[in-house]
Amino acid sequence: MSRRMIIAAVAVMLFALIAHAQQARDRDPRWIAPADAAEKSNPLASRPEAVAGGSKIYRQRCATCHGENGRGTAKAPDLTAPGVQAQSDGALFWKISSGNTHAGMPTFSFLPEPQRWQLVLQVRALRVQPVR
Amino acid sequence: MPVTVLMTPRRAVNVGPGSGWSESVRDVRDAVSPVGCPAANPSLSDSFSKHSRLQTSVMHSRFSFVVVACVLGMSVSAVAQERPYFVTYDHYLEEPGNFEIAVASTTGFPKAGNPSYTAPWLELEYGLTGWWTAELYLEGVTMHGNGSAFTGLRWENRFRPLKGEHAINPVLYVEYERINEGSRIQKEIVGSGALAFEPISELREAVAHELEGKLILSSAMRGWNIAENVIFEKNLSADEGIEFGYSVGVSRSLGSLATGTTCHVCRENFTLGVEAFGGLGSTVDSALTDTRHYIAPVFAWRLTDRSTLKVSNGFGLTNASDHHLLRIGYSYEFATRSVR
Repeated sequence: MSRRMIIAAVAVMLFALIAHAQQARDRDPRWIAPADAAEKSNPLASRPEAVAGGSKIYRQRCATCHGENGRGTAKAPDLTAPGVQAQSDGALFWKISSGNTHAGMPTFSFLPEPQRWQLVLQVRALRVQPVR
Repeated sequence: MPVTVLMTPRRAVNVGPGSGWSESVRDVRDAVSPVGCPAANPSLSDSFSKHSRLQTSVMHSRFSFVVVACVLGMSVSAVAQERPYFVTYDHYLEEPGNFEIAVASTTGFPKAGNPSYTAPWLELEYGLTGWWTAELYLEGVTMHGNGSAFTGLRWENRFRPLKGEHAINPVLYVEYERINEGSRIQKEIVGSGALAFEPISELREAVAHELEGKLILSSAMRGWNIAENVIFEKNLSADEGIEFGYSVGVSRSLGSLATGTTCHVCRENFTLGVEAFGGLGSTVDSALTDTRHYIAPVFAWRLTDRSTLKVSNGFGLTNASDHHLLRIGYSYEFATRSVR
């Protein structure tokens, strides 16, 4: 392997380390749902039984970063915090769907829309769960 | 003495003195094989005690097992979406801090009496940040009646420049490849011309350094994923101009509302789709007459929270294409536990 390639590989690895260390983990205050998206209401609001499915998806997709009880980890913020719970269902749905990849929040638009609404139900349910 | 190991039949007959496997590799395989395991077969205990090196290998394999068990024990449910496609990329990257291991293979059934081949690969994927995913590929090939070879490595990076979801989501892809002419995994098809079928021993000597770029465009629309990739590839070892290729894919999860219970065979765990891919010539040969093109139904089954099985069968559409490309892949993903 030529010296030039070794230098290039080391430079890329250094850049990767810096990017990894710089990855934002706290809540991004500039990440705000558009007004039309925030106005949407949850079509599953009258089906509280759907939260069981939301709980399962939460464990599969969200608990790694937000914690089993939603109170946050070093990777992602507390979903039971007033700043999160004060947001409308539509705003939470938009944030789950679109993500904020520069702040580490993945895009979940690959989930069918009903499942994303189930996740909104689960986020609401988190605020009443006891701290573990 | 040739030994039997739990691998494919072709591999099984290859394992033995002079087969190309290193001694240590054979020893470890002996140790993990139920046939060769002394604990399971007392008749082998005497011969086993004569080989202290083998005992060391057993200790190493047990140590490896413990390490793997610890790593998996530290892991928690992962969150990523495994795309159903083998060739086409969508805009979903690996979640930051998540690590995925995948094994897959491409089995080709060529035309004109050429021998069939199986090209396995190992894929290690890591989410460096929310906008950057890096992957390392190690690949090989086994050609019917023509031997086996390691065919090279690929280092892939995907960058997502926009932070939110848009109607069309661009992702930039840059890959460095150090592969030889025996490479058959066909993670992408570029340029023109059919595959070469010289002996593997000759093909493996022709090593090339290549740089590949892709523009990935992907959309989520009413439960569907629609992805288009434009591929550019430059062989840094030869003056072949720049080769072009494409792939497009459409897929959809079969699920709607998630059930509240854990289930393995329910609609929400399945994704179906189709992808098409092929070469588009090069800057020195823009004719499309000798290019390879395929159309492939794809099927993905989320077996557990962490693992996915994918299957695809590509149908060759041109004379230069193989009859079929059968692909199977299994991926396992884990993330280290994180606390505040």
